[in-house]
Amino acid sequence: MTTAPQSPVREPAWPLSRSAIGLWVTEGVIASLGLGVGAALFAVFVPADAPAPFPVLRWLAPALVLVYAVVAIGIRPWVRFRVHRWEITGEAVHTLTGWLTRTWTLVPVSRIQTVDVTRGVLQQLFGLSTVSVLTASSQGTVQVWHLDADVAQRVADDLAHRAEQVRDQAT
Amino acid sequence: MGQPPRKGRRTSPRIVLVHTATFRQARQFVPAIIPLVAATGFGGGTTTVVWLVAGVTLLSLATAALSWWRFTYADGPASVVVTRGLLSRSVRTVPNDRIRGVEVEAGPLHRVFGLVRVRIDAAAGAADKDEELVIDGVSRAEGDRLRATVLTHRSTTPLAEDAEPEPEEEFARFDNRWLLYAPLLGSYLAVPFAAVGALFRLAQELPERFRPDLDGVHVSGVQALAIVLTAALVILVMGSVIGAAVVNWRFRLTRRGGSLIAARGLVTRRHTELEIDRIRGWTLAEGLGMRWVRAARVSALVTGLGDAARRGQLLPLGPRAEARALGVRLVADPGPLVRHPPAARRRRIVRALVAGLLVSAAGAVATPLLGWWWLLALGVALVVLGVPIGLGRYASLGHAAREGSFAVRSGWLVREQAVLQRRAVVGWQVRQSPFQRRAGLASVTACVGAGRGGYTAVDMAAEDVAAFAAAASEAWAEGLRPVIAPGV
Repeated sequence: MTTAPQSPVREPAWPLSRSAIGLWVTEGVIASLGLGVGAALFAVFVPADAPAPFPVLRWLAPALVLVYAVVAIGIRPWVRFRVHRWEITGEAVHTLTGWLTRTWTLVPVSRIQTVDVTRGVLQQLFGLSTVSVLTASSQGTVQVWHLDADVAQRVADDLAHRAEQVRDQAT
Repeated sequence: MGQPPRKGRRTSPRIVLVHTATFRQARQFVPAIIPLVAATGFGGGTTTVVWLVAGVTLLSLATAALSWWRFTYADGPASVVVTRGLLSRSVRTVPNDRIRGVEVEAGPLHRVFGLVRVRIDAAAGAADKDEELVIDGVSRAEGDRLRATVLTHRSTTPLAEDAEPEPEEEFARFDNRWLLYAPLLGSYLAVPFAAVGALFRLAQELPERFRPDLDGVHVSGVQALAIVLTAALVILVMGSVIGAAVVNWRFRLTRRGGSLIAARGLVTRRHTELEIDRIRGWTLAEGLGMRWVRAARVSALVTGLGDAARRGQLLPLGPRAEARALGVRLVADPGPLVRHPPAARRRRIVRALVAGLLVSAAGAVATPLLGWWWLLALGVALVVLGVPIGLGRYASLGHAAREGSFAVRSGWLVREQAVLQRRAVVGWQVRQSPFQRRAGLASVTACVGAGRGGYTAVDMAAEDVAAFAAAASEAWAEGLRPVIAPGV
């Protein structure tokens, strides 16, 4: 299945690090466990003979948690990995994110104000980093998620250096 | 000016009187005083009250004098420095090139004493939060001097000290007849509501014997309803017109040198100064009621000046033609808008109907079970209303790009058209949900460092996205063009 003919704009060229799948699966497991505990508590503390909507919820809640777990652990990480793309061209940073709703973001190097590299706790486990590129616009922030840590650092240094040289003061 | 820039200037001592009268600094002691008063009680009658008033006034005078004494400001060639604080001192330094605008305002008490309050807007780095410096209580002449120097220091070509004042050019002048548009504008309609609310609170706090005996008045149902509705309507209309008049009285927009100055206000007189070099575009906002009478408001989009709802206002209220002409003088209009494809209309209608359909479905279930027929009625009403709302939303959609500027328009309750320069765009964001993908649509946001931070063309044809982005921003946006596969 190729999404290329449907894309409104050009797809960035490079995929993320494969470790990102592991990270997303871990995130899905943690979220599912949290919800599962919530559903279990609900089943334990709500008495079986409670009025109208509660008996339905008693079996609906675990079912929903199960569906969520299957999607978040078994499907979403792989779909995300197929969709997510990034690319840094001569003059712009280009990303594609999302799994159902897709978002393409393009920011020119000349309008970059700051470049941040952040590493969350889980990201550190998988040796990944996020590169955030900030512009003068509150909505014009690009985040390249889950790059290999050394790649992220190189990218950030390169972008910061180039932004310094071609900075456009119009904004 | 003989003074070295680092030497602080003081505000006028007359501000102490203004602040004493308004309890500006003493206000923070109020929570502490109330339990004190409650503890000692009001037993003494008039004498206690007199003592209390005298005490509070003295306290206010003392705190006002102290904070006047501890407050200095200095406008140097490179920055503005404000030093303040009673016990812990704070020194704020704002570099001149970070200053985005200056506002000089004079409230009624300030005007009595011939004083003004100067607000200096500064962009606070990349965090995109606006900071402001307030220098409260300088003489009118000093306020004008500050406004002029702070802005001219920043420009790359320094003006000679003795340069003759630049000629003023009038951009817009408020016609008092335009006040009649006010009842159709949401924000002004809120004025009478707030006033009535305050009145009710006051009435609640009045002692029992002063309260008018409303219970004794008997009027028949229909008559009463008619009277109340008419009175409410009259109050609403009058209140909004008066509210608009107080805020916008003698509104005037003039150009002096490189900046635009807006002056307005009946009780509190405000002068807002914006630098034309920093204006990246404008928005034309028309509410539902305003579209009906062809009225609109225009605001400038200024880089670094966050959401410029108030500061950037170029024409608070006026005929649409006038408003548009004013905007076009700053940034050229890219011409007629391109309508979005029919799929966008379908999508708008579907989205407007979904809420009504859900409520109807819930109503269909609840009517036999619980007898909630009104839920079904509400759902049906929402569905019926959904079609015109969806059509109205679709009619608002549009985009255009030509020769250095572009425009996007959306919104039904308030229809907003943003016109921006090409160079304002600092990034593009294209979003496509699964439904949009099926319909061949996409929403495109132009990220700009002004106004709301991004302006969106909702549901444009997916195949037009790359061309629009390329036409509406500089060469780098060519990177969005899909690569045409070889051999096709």
